[in-house]
Amino acid sequence: MKPITVPGTLVSLSLIRDYARTAAAEAGLDKKRTYRLELAVDEIATNIVNHGYQEAGLTGDVVVHATITAHALTIVLEDTAMPFDPRRLTRPEQIDLPLAERPIGGLGVFLAIENVDEFRYEYVDDHNRNIFVVKRTAA
Amino acid sequence: MSFTVTSEMKNGIAQFTLVGELDAAAAGGFKAAIEQAAANQPKRVVLIMNELTYMASAGLRTLVFAKQKMGANVDIYVIGVQEAVRETIEMTGFHHSVIMLDTYDAAEIGDV
Repeated sequence: MKPITVPGTLVSLSLIRDYARTAAAEAGLDKKRTYRLELAVDEIATNIVNHGYQEAGLTGDVVVHATITAHALTIVLEDTAMPFDPRRLTRPEQIDLPLAERPIGGLGVFLAIENVDEFRYEYVDDHNRNIFVVKRTAA
Repeated sequence: MSFTVTSEMKNGIAQFTLVGELDAAAAGGFKAAIEQAAANQPKRVVLIMNELTYMASAGLRTLVFAKQKMGANVDIYVIGVQEAVRETIEMTGFHHSVIMLDTYDAAEIGDV
């Protein structure tokens, strides 16, 4: 699919979800897997906007690109914030804590990783690349 | 689809109706509504979610905020949640900290 470039702001999140939803439809994913992919992409995009850009006092874009092969749909989010591997944020042990005692943070990354078949991160040519892979046939 | 939250207070119950997509961009509005309701010191919180089609972790964090703001002894009821949103709530263990009901049950909620 043709990539889209959107400003790294919270307003762009719904555009990024729309793109993921369209890609999922083209790849023939069912409703449940489409929702899960949308959620995964949205969570990482949120972190890019909030932590990568806004908290760091930076501005930049997010490029979203989907590739569909015979077996899988891959969505890549690219940004120009400081290098950051979101996998560092997962703390699944917090899932067992009562609501009132939970520290905030890490939840979005947990959801992102749990909701796709494969999640990868790489830093290439001054760009963070967050990569989501969903198999086209249900596992 | 955008997000709207409407709130009302009756019989000591703060009730919020959530409609649309609750992402990080929308969570601020929900949080503000919670803060406003917390000033009235409700005994319970009811969230009507039948028409909430999407919820990201920002929405879950607002539930944490609600629990911390209202007090641990104030029960949060989640009513009519859609399947996809339910899956997120269960995946993150939040269903242990809120009371999930399919429909509004006045007796169960204590709305008498």
